[in-house]
Amino acid sequence: MADPLELAVREQFQNPVQQRETSMVGMWVFLITEVMLFGGLFTGFAVYRMEYPLGFDLGSAQMDFKMGAINTAVLICSSFAMALAVNSAERGRKLRLAGFLVLTIVLGLLFLGIKFDEYYLHFLDHKAPGINFYQSGPQASSIEMFYVFYYIMTGLHALHMFVGIGLLSVLLLRTGLGSFSAEYHTPVEITGLYWHFVDTVWVFLFAIFYIPGAHMR
Amino acid sequence: MSQPTVSIKTYTFTWLALLGLTLLTSLIGLLDLGLFNLVTAIVIAGIKASLIAFFFMHAFYESKLVRVVLAGGVLWFLILISLTLGDYLTRGLLPFPGK
Repeated sequence: MADPLELAVREQFQNPVQQRETSMVGMWVFLITEVMLFGGLFTGFAVYRMEYPLGFDLGSAQMDFKMGAINTAVLICSSFAMALAVNSAERGRKLRLAGFLVLTIVLGLLFLGIKFDEYYLHFLDHKAPGINFYQSGPQASSIEMFYVFYYIMTGLHALHMFVGIGLLSVLLLRTGLGSFSAEYHTPVEITGLYWHFVDTVWVFLFAIFYIPGAHMR
Repeated sequence: MSQPTVSIKTYTFTWLALLGLTLLTSLIGLLDLGLFNLVTAIVIAGIKASLIAFFFMHAFYESKLVRVVLAGGVLWFLILISLTLGDYLTRGLLPFPGK
């Protein structure tokens, strides 16, 4: 059975609909602050891309385009699994909810596995600015700048993935404890919003880091 | 609230559209279009992001307040990037040293 305390409407709210609406708006406002966090980095990338177009294209040409495309597909599938988890929660189907949460987590871990394999290959290839970087030619330092943006932006994204997997694990635990029902499942919806947002960020990261140099490989 | 917000059919179509657009953007990326490689990549990413926000994140079905918050976020990001690039793109247009 669902926890009666969780089903109850807290005293500052008039009814469950208003309570849910408040949570949803609060989460969207948080996601907008995340848009501004990543937005600053995207803007910085745009400025440096304009200053050093050739170096950034050469840097992009060194990315493993196939790995990036596969990772995009993996993350889109995990978002689909998360959407189906929300759908199951709305219908009160707890076993299906748990199943889709597990699938979302597994696909999230697969994404991180591929991502860190890529980082490792970059490292072996002397493409880790500040630790192990070697590049020849006149564009060497702008290619290094490309990699600085690459590590900071994909690294911050990977950090968000870890947080998301942690949140999904808590959801899975609470599903097992029977906290969610067709009437009360706001945490599932809110975590879903976060997970889809992180997916959206990757869609743009794939577009700016992997695609521009793909034809030069 | 026992009725799901979005049907599994809609989710499936959204998912297939997202995978299709990923394939499309990858194939276009293999052509040499100059600067338009980046431009088309960002446009397709924008379409994918809208699909995720409207259907996976239910923005299409949420209250007006949520949609205003989303629109506000997009608007503020556009202000951030357009004013910054408005500065960098127009440097050197006027014949003053250091401008």
